[in-house]
Order: sequence, then C-alpha cells, then structure tokens
Amino acid sequence: MPVQIPKDKWPGQVRVATIGATEADGGTRTSVITVGGEKALPFMHFEAEMPYRPVIALEIKDRKPDDWSPLLLETWGEAMDAPGAWAKAAEAAGADMLQLSLSLTGVDGEPNTPDKAVTAVQSVLNSSGLPLAVFGPGQKEADNELLVPVAEATKGERIALGICEDKNYRTIVATAMANDHLVTARAPMDVNLSKQLNILITDMGLPLERIIMDPTTGALGYGIEYGYSVMERLRLAALQGDTMTQLPMIVTPGFEAWKAKESKVGTGVPAAWGDWLERAINWETLTAVALLESGADILVLRHPESVRRVRMAIEELMEAEELRLATGN
Amino acid sequence: MTAHRVKFDVIAEPVQVVTGTLLTEAAHEAGIDIAQPCGGQGRCGRCALQVVGGSESRSSVRSRSTLRLSPEDVAQGYVLACQAVVEGDVSIHVPPQEALERRLTTDRTVAEVQVPAGYDPAIDQTIRRVALTLTPPSMDDQTDDWSRLQTALRQETGIGELQVSLSLLRKIGPVLREGEWEVTAVLNLESRGQKVEGLQSPISNLQSAKLIDLQPGHIPADAPLWGAAIDIGTTTVSVWLVDLLTGEVVQQAAEYNRQIRRGEDVISRIIFASKNNGREEMRRLVLESINGLLERVVKRASSEWRVVDDQQLATNNQPPATNNQPPATNNQPPATNNQPPATNNIVKATIAGNSTMMHLLLGIPAESIRLSPFVTAVNHIPPLTAREVELAIHPEAAVDCLPGVASYVGADITAGALSSGLDDSEQVSLFMDIGTNGETVLGSHDWLVTCACSAGPAFEGAGVEHGMRATRGAIEEVWINSDTYEPTIRVIGDAAPKGFCGSGLISLLAEMFVTGVIDKGGNFNTSLPTTRIRKGAHGLEYVVVWANEGVNRDIAITHVDVDNLLRAKAAIYAGFTVLADAVGVPLETVERVLIGGAFGKYINVEKAVEIGLLPDMPWENFHFLGNTAVLGAYYALLDEKQRARIADIASRMTYIELSADNSFFEAFTSALFLPHTDMSLFPSVAGS
Repeated sequence: MPVQIPKDKWPGQVRVATIGATEADGGTRTSVITVGGEKALPFMHFEAEMPYRPVIALEIKDRKPDDWSPLLLETWGEAMDAPGAWAKAAEAAGADMLQLSLSLTGVDGEPNTPDKAVTAVQSVLNSSGLPLAVFGPGQKEADNELLVPVAEATKGERIALGICEDKNYRTIVATAMANDHLVTARAPMDVNLSKQLNILITDMGLPLERIIMDPTTGALGYGIEYGYSVMERLRLAALQGDTMTQLPMIVTPGFEAWKAKESKVGTGVPAAWGDWLERAINWETLTAVALLESGADILVLRHPESVRRVRMAIEELMEAEELRLATGN
Repeated sequence: MTAHRVKFDVIAEPVQVVTGTLLTEAAHEAGIDIAQPCGGQGRCGRCALQVVGGSESRSSVRSRSTLRLSPEDVAQGYVLACQAVVEGDVSIHVPPQEALERRLTTDRTVAEVQVPAGYDPAIDQTIRRVALTLTPPSMDDQTDDWSRLQTALRQETGIGELQVSLSLLRKIGPVLREGEWEVTAVLNLESRGQKVEGLQSPISNLQSAKLIDLQPGHIPADAPLWGAAIDIGTTTVSVWLVDLLTGEVVQQAAEYNRQIRRGEDVISRIIFASKNNGREEMRRLVLESINGLLERVVKRASSEWRVVDDQQLATNNQPPATNNQPPATNNQPPATNNQPPATNNIVKATIAGNSTMMHLLLGIPAESIRLSPFVTAVNHIPPLTAREVELAIHPEAAVDCLPGVASYVGADITAGALSSGLDDSEQVSLFMDIGTNGETVLGSHDWLVTCACSAGPAFEGAGVEHGMRATRGAIEEVWINSDTYEPTIRVIGDAAPKGFCGSGLISLLAEMFVTGVIDKGGNFNTSLPTTRIRKGAHGLEYVVVWANEGVNRDIAITHVDVDNLLRAKAAIYAGFTVLADAVGVPLETVERVLIGGAFGKYINVEKAVEIGLLPDMPWENFHFLGNTAVLGAYYALLDEKQRARIADIASRMTYIELSADNSFFEAFTSALFLPHTDMSLFPSVAGS
C-alpha cells in the first residue's frame, strides 16, 4: 500500500529580496545574493518550492576588534588590520556576502568619524565583489552619524544597512530610501515586536522587498530555543498570509556563539570539554544549523571553518530541492 | 533609645521622636499631613521635605533613598519624608503641599436616576416601618415589655421571630412608656440568602426580622426613611441618599477617597496598610470620606425638606433636622442636642467597591490580595451593622457589603454587571470598568467570564509628567492641526490649563498619532516642522501649552508618558482579547460594549478606537453608563431580588487570572502599538 505523505498548503509566501547590485544594475558588485521566496517551512521541498538557498555572510570589522576570541584573531591574522584585506580573505574563505560592522572607536581610542567609516566601506567594496551589509556600532547617535554618509557614498550598491530598531529606525530608513539600499530590522525575540518594526519602516515608504528582518537569536545553550521558536512562529505567520512577517530573515550566530564561554575560554575549563578550537567551531556551526532549520535566510558567521561546515549542511538540506526540480515533482 | 526634637516650620511646637523614626511619622505626630501617593515606598517623590541648616543639621536625618530627587534638590537638603530617618535634633521646612481639588460637578451634570419600574416598598424592600399599638400592662397582664412588643408585631405583621441588639433592648421600656404604648418600629426582614420567592408575598408570610429602631408614637407615613447606596472607588467615593418609601434618589455626592494621600493605587494602599498603624489609618480615612458625604447628603436633603438652603443653614447655625419631624413642626423650637442626628434616618446602607477598598473599610488585613496566589480574606461579607462598621448613620442600620469574585474583581464589578444589564441579556456583551485596574466582564445571561489587568493610573492622570485628575484646569480634549502641528485645547472649568486628565490624554494620544507627531510605535517624529517637538529633561516631548499662554510652565507630554499610556491601553485591550479567546467568542460577535467608571463617561469613542483602547466597532454598540457600581448598589438597596441577582452574578462569574495565563503577554505586546499590531482588527482606523 503506498504511503500518503500529508502535505501542508500555505496561502502565503516569503518575499524575495536581493542584496548587492552589479554594474548592469547601477552598482559595482560582481555577485549579488537573492533570498526568500519560500512557500513552505524550511526544507519541506516535497510541499512547495524553496527557490533560493540560504546564504552565508562573514562578519568583518573596520578595524581589528578588541573583544574577539584569540582563536579568531589567530585565524584572520594580519588581514584584520585593514578592512579591505579582511574582505578579500573572507571572500576567499567562501562567504556569499560580507557583513561589515563599524566600530565606535578606532584602534587609537579616538571616536569613529563619517570620513573613516566611508573610507573603510569603500576599501571593502574595492577589495571584494561580494554584496555587503553594513551595521553601525549599535549606538543611536553613532549609527545615524556614520551610516548616512556611508549610504550616500555607496548609492546604488544595494547595501543592507543596519541595524534598525524600534527606537531608532527613521534616519537609517530615510537614507536607505534615498540611496537605493536595503535595511535590516532587529526586534528583541518577539513576533509582535518584529511585526511592529516592519510596519513602522514600511509606513515611511520603504518597500517590503527592501527589508530583511533580524529576529535576534541566542547561541546554543544561551536561549536558542526561544529564538528558534520566535523564528518558527514568524515564518508560520508569513506562510499563513500575514504580510508584515513575509520577509527574509538575517541572524547573527557568529556573534552569538563567540560570546559563549564555551567558545571564548580556552583555559580553566573541564578537560571533558575537549579541544578548544574544535569546540568553538562546533558551537558556531550547531547554532547556525539550528537557525537554518528555523527559517534563517542569511547566516552571519565569524570563522572560515564554520562557513565550510554550514555550507555542507545547506548543500545536503537543499539536495531534495535539486531533485524535485530535476524530476519536476 | 534617644529622643530627638523635630521642628517643622509650619507648626509652632517641635515634636519628640525616637531615633529611627521616619519623617512622615514625625510629621504625622506633629499633625501635618504629608501626601504619600505611592504609599510611602519612596517611588513618587511627592513627600519631599527640606532639612534646614548646614551639614550638621543634615546629618541628623539619614536618607535611605533619594529616588526622584535631583542632585540639586539633594544639595539643598531635600529628602523624601517616607525614606528619611531621624537621628538627631532637626528643623524641617515643609513646602506647600499640592491641594486636592474637588471634582467639579457644575459642568458635568449629576446622573439622572430612574426609579426601577414597579418599585413597591411593600414587596421589594426589606426595610419596613410599622406603627404598633400595644395593650398596656396591668396587674392582670404582667407580660414583659419585649414579649409584649413581639406579640403586637406578630398580630400586626405575622412576624414570629424578632431579633434585637442589646443597646436597642435597653431603650425598649422607656420608649414604650414615652409613647404611651403607641410606637413605630423599623424592621429589616432578614431573608438575604434565602429563597427570594418569599419576597413576592406580603410581609405577613415572613418569619423573621431584626428590629432596627423603635420610636415613641405613630410617626407620619411620609417621614423620612432613608437608605444609602455607596461606592468606594480607589479614587472617588460616591454616596446616593435614597428615599426607601418612593425609591427616589434624594441626593448624590462624591469626593476623593481620602486614602489617596496614602497611595494612589490599590497596591500602594495595601503596602501602606500593612505597616504600623496603616490599616487603622486607612480605615479611618475612608470612613471620614463616607461619613462626610453622608452628612452632606442628609444636610442637603433635610434643608430642602425645610426649605432652607445650605448657606442659610450654615449662617443660622441651626441644628440639622431631627428624626420624625414632619414639615409642619418647622415652627417649633429647635431640636435639642439630645435628639439623634438626621443621619439616623438612614437605616440601611449598601456598599460596592473593589475588594481592596472593602477590606480596608472593614479593617480586614488585605496583604494577601497583593501577594501570590492573590486571594482575598473574604468575598461574601456577612450582614453587618453600622455600629460595628462605624458608619455615621443609624447605629442599628443594616450594612450590606456586596459580594466580590476575586482579589481584583470586586463588588464594584458585580454591582456594575447587574446595573449594566450584562447578565440579563441574550446578547453577548462586554462590560469594562476603565480605571487603575481595567476590569472586564464578557458574557450574557448564560455565562460570564471576567479578568482584571493592571493598567496603571495613567488614564487617571497619575504616572504622567503633567497628569492630573479631572478637576478645574485639566485639559480634557486636544485637537492638533495636521499642517501646522499647533494644538487647540479644551480645559475643564474654563480655567488656565494646568495638566492633562485621562480623557485629555486619550484625545492627545489619538491626535498625535493621526497627525504623525508620533508613529505607530509611539516614537516622536523629530523631522516635523514644529518647535513643539523638542528634547526636554526627560527626552523627547510635545509641548501642548507654552508657559507664556497664561501658565507658569510648559505643559508637555513626554515619550515616557506616551509609553505609559500605550502600556495602559494595551493592558486593557489585551484583557478583553484574552477573555474573548478564553471562551472562543470572536470580538466582532460582541454586540454591546458597556463602559462603566466615572471616567468612562467622558471618553471620546472615536479617539479611544483610534489608539486601540476600545475595539473597533460601530459607535452605536458603545454604551457609556457612568458609575455602574453605585447604580448597582442602589438597585440592591431597593430590591432584595436585585441583591440576590448580584450574589448570583458573583458566584457565576468565572475569573481568569491573567498572570497564570501566558496568552496575556502575547496579547499585550500585540496591543502595544497604535492602534494594534494586527491592523485587520481596526479597519476603520486603517482606512482613515
């Protein structure tokens, strides 16, 4: 007797978003990424199509960070001293995309300036053809001060500018609208708050196709269940037809996992924890893969080896989609 | 322990207190009333006093907390009286305290009350006045006075069992003789809790009664026989004086609950009551409020009766009308001091109020209301007398405290459910009382569910920078020009504006939202071409009134205020979405929204829907009922069947504890948006 596999049919679909613009589209990128378009829960290829595979971004900074794990400093080495070099190394490590974080202060302790920020972004664009996301330092005034000139200097590149939050989104959205960029919209692990922020941003006139939502997540062992559940509910709402949740999702498992003690600390931990580097990479990879399963479209990582492993997971998870396309089922 | 001298500048004599005494206690000792709206928790900053003198003097007072005082205040010696402990001799400057103003009633008419159709005191009322003529005792008939009275009553009414208090028993002999064996008895037929069908029959079928009053002679049938319907609100106490013979409301009066100075919300008051003599002080304060109002309504009613107005009454300093004096006796010499006060004509009181207010009135410890698992000491309070409650009415008067459902759903809600007719209709209705606690009842004559959510006092003007109660000078309505962002305001009492009351805040929030001064998340839009949106001491704000427009300071609404208002409205809206979900009734099938609470009368529906405080439905579905609690108490006072209905409502209501239900938080964050995250719930707002 043939087994009937039950299939859910959803009325809604996630919107498609493209980050980066090639010369033909008014930018300078050699590649762009396109995400979204899901018509079913992640990797349920037998139910409906998942037209675009999830993509991996590598996080780089405009200067060598003070608070990153020694393991990461070792891995990226001298490339970290110049954003252009770091971008090039990240592209070589297999990233689909770059996420540049602007710092509040330079290595000399002096506050970051619009000029320095623009220079850093331009050197990244000159060194790599990958599409780019640029996040401010995460302080309202500094974000607005740095992101506006960056957006203006890179008009037409379709950069994803971040991070919009409910208390600070107007300036970033306005400059994204004026300079043909996208924004990322972060809400603190809550379906309603994500939705509210998306409404506020679209109310300003930015089309939904230019918003990537960041539901915020936690690392493995540090609240990932909660983040997973929120992402799953956001995606379920989207598939059920709730317009304001039908956006691709960006998450930052690299930032989260490398904050965890298991990744950060190499000495004074139980021997049973095993090899530090292996453990740290596992932490980042497992966090990322779990988020993949909950509907993430863009994963921002920090370690090249994690990129390799997460890519393998994506390949395998997408195989069925290839098969479906090949057989036309 | 060492004693210290504390000298307050407003009082001549210093007081002696021991080390460790709070300044509020010392002030109390000195007879100074320091406002403590937060209940003495050091949260509100309204009890600030100034320590006079240099550092030596300052060190005589140890401050446990200076929350809400600026560094400049502290430098000038200001301390929070509820957080400052006396440790040495000290002089204190008491700054002028904000005065409580009485709510204006001139431009807000007193509620018209209809006597329930078909009210018949001979059937519905438990209070009866009976004229009796007894056979005088003789050597042939040595029956005792009490038995003689009972026999006469049995013959007249059929009542076989009569109860009486000791103090009244002491009066019986003299009264019988003074009236030469003609007396008038006031009885309370005690059938509460028994089958109400018995009341459909005449008095003679009843078995038992309690003697409330016995007067010599046969009193004219039209002499006053009064009852009082009382609602103890957290903010306002209302008293209606009711003629039990006709059912008419003779007088109404309301004033602020004097407990306000010891806490603005129920939680602060419970905390205050749990400290030292706080419970007794709270009881005394609310009794002062009620008894003052009772005296006021009786005075007005008596003066009306004697065709003397209040002013004349005051200047002539005549004693109040006394018992049993028909208008014809007006020319007789003034009543002597021995005669009972006119308030003795009130022989029954029915009281509504939330559970905390009821506990505090009766001096019952209320701490358990505040602490998990949130239980009251008592929901159904047994029949009491005015003597034990210390109400200033006839000491034997029956005091009926209406039943509540739970800690945060009290007798004000059961009485309101009755008077709103919620329980008596096939239509599914939503009844809500908008106040510090947003209580909501959903149901019909078949079922009732209820919940309470803490909305906070924002809609009552508290917890808002320029908030105030609905008194003279309160801005009650605001319109904002969508091109210039200039506001137009309406102020209560045609006075210079002083701040915003609840309805003004709702109006302002709605106007700021529709004109884009704030976005759907409540954030100010700083890019608008107006100087009224500016950065103030507490962040961004919108200035509604400039200081030079006849006021001494700019009146603005800050982003913190907006957040507080958003939370308050979200809590109330979330309350009824959770109720509707709990019983599986979609909100759109609710046919009537009944809104109670004195504040509810003044809400502009359009604005309340725009901000998502009230559900989006046709305006004709909304019914504003005013003070439904006192109306319910009035119905229960008149008619035993209505009283039984309230008991039935109280026992039928299913209480949903929101803190035990995680769906509330989801509903709350969803409602924390203008008007709501789910725009499909507010089609009329989305379309505008």
